Amino acid sequence: MEIKDRILVVEDDRRICNFFKTVLEANHYDVLLAHTGSEAYSMITSQCPDVVLLDLGLPDMDGLHILKSVREWSSMPVLVVSARTHEKDKVEALDLGADDYITKPFGTSELLARIRTAIRHTRTGLNQSGQQTGLFSSGGLLIDYDKHRVFVDGVDANLTQNEYKIVSLLGKYAGKVITYDTIIREIWGPNMKNDNRILRVNMANIRRKIEKNPAQPQYIFTEVGVGYRIVEPD
Amino acid sequence: MPKMKYLFIKNLLTTTAILACATTLCLILNRFSPSDTHVPLVFVLAVLFVSRFTDGYVYGIVSSMVAVAGVNYVFTYPYFELNFTLTGYSITFGVMLAVACSVSAMTTRIKKQEEVWLEAEKEKMRGNLLRAVSHDIRTPLTSIVASASGIIENYDMLTSENRLELVKDIRAEAQWLIRIVENLLSITRIGEDGARIDKQEELAEEIISSAVVKFKKRFPEIRLSVKLPQEVVLVPMDGILIEQVLVNLLENAVLHGHGTTEITIIVENVGETVSFAVEDNGQGIRESLLPRLFEGTLQSESERTSDSKRNMGIGLSVCMSIVRAHKGNMAAENRKTGGARVSFWLPKE
Repeated sequence: MEIKDRILVVEDDRRICNFFKTVLEANHYDVLLAHTGSEAYSMITSQCPDVVLLDLGLPDMDGLHILKSVREWSSMPVLVVSARTHEKDKVEALDLGADDYITKPFGTSELLARIRTAIRHTRTGLNQSGQQTGLFSSGGLLIDYDKHRVFVDGVDANLTQNEYKIVSLLGKYAGKVITYDTIIREIWGPNMKNDNRILRVNMANIRRKIEKNPAQPQYIFTEVGVGYRIVEPD
Repeated sequence: MPKMKYLFIKNLLTTTAILACATTLCLILNRFSPSDTHVPLVFVLAVLFVSRFTDGYVYGIVSSMVAVAGVNYVFTYPYFELNFTLTGYSITFGVMLAVACSVSAMTTRIKKQEEVWLEAEKEKMRGNLLRAVSHDIRTPLTSIVASASGIIENYDMLTSENRLELVKDIRAEAQWLIRIVENLLSITRIGEDGARIDKQEELAEEIISSAVVKFKKRFPEIRLSVKLPQEVVLVPMDGILIEQVLVNLLENAVLHGHGTTEITIIVENVGETVSFAVEDNGQGIRESLLPRLFEGTLQSESERTSDSKRNMGIGLSVCMSIVRAHKGNMAAENRKTGGARVSFWLPKE
């Protein structure tokens, strides 16, 4: 018998719930529905879903509270699905540990792709802390974590140390948006707060070394106002 | 409150400077002419200037008092002593005070009229936008309701291809509505007075690539190339808003280009500004529309000619509001080789 991944949808709007249920069941997922924050709490603890799709605007509480309390004891994938479009909301949710942030309105294929990505991340254990070893490869891009080098089409891209650190950090969470603040904190330490310029300039240099056309990148993408994301490995 | 303080300092400096100029002028003139009849005239002129170039009545009145006392002290006999018993003294004072009051009153009234005019202009813009939005929303909604009822009421009579077609129409119309709403959301980010945007130094290439990704999702078949200067281009901007401008320009190039297959984005350093241009190979923009392209008034025009229910009205006037809020500007022209070129430029500082 096939074991289906179980998705908990936390959403107060009946029509959107209906849409999620139809589409996700058609794509072979088990779907659980919660219409309020408190319902969501009890289902997360009792049913242990594989993925949570979390709406932020719930009738009884802010969805971010649920995210916060889940992160205290579990790293289960939580995808925030929200109508809030301001980049500050995205940054906040990502910094609180959301695996992804999907802005309403969204397309079905996009939704399914992001769910698959989140599930794969937990399965492959990419979120575990500790030193990275081995290789990351996607298309012509190769990150060699052991040698601390990045190759493009087999040629060493000659990244500086900080540039390498940025690329390997993105590689560690491939497919996921890493916020500006997180990158700055990881690379330059907590005292460099709010200096976006140095990060921008480093990114511009990285792009000139690894992308054919910096304005039409193949490997590292920008989420304006939020952060950066590297492509998924092959 | 810092604005009040700034105004106070500005007015005080203006007043002092004008009075100092008048005094210097009188001292110089005194060298050449034995008579001192010009002194009160010069100071009347000074009081007039003060009243014209400061806000409110206070500075004009104070400077007329200072002028009268100064004239009395410095320029009338006995020099460098106050003597209030001179004949004509009260007349001079009276004249200066009258000049100060009437000029201040006129200046204040002119400024008020300017404000009223600006307010009316804003109101007009808002009205245009609302009209444009209501029209742009009504058309796709009509089509959505019609297609959906068409399916529900004739479900068994329609082939599955027919149904799919109608559902695709519904999706296309809904996407159009999303586009309108996103533009409206952008407007709310600019804020009430149109100048409260949150600027950060952003890389031109990042904003462009993000806009291109969004555009490619909707129009994967359009060939798109980007020309950037070799050096890193950092521009202070609200990245989300400028991305919206670029998305609008790219989509316009396709939706109104009638046959656009290729788009080029060109970024250039032009003096103290960075210019972004979107060039397409479509049919170009009708010459008669060019002068009023960014005013947001194209709506009524196209309603009359029923040229097309989709028009550039909202998209371009939103672009213009965003670019203006960045203290930049926009231009549109037809290219000699065919197609349109719409560009905007932003200051580097």
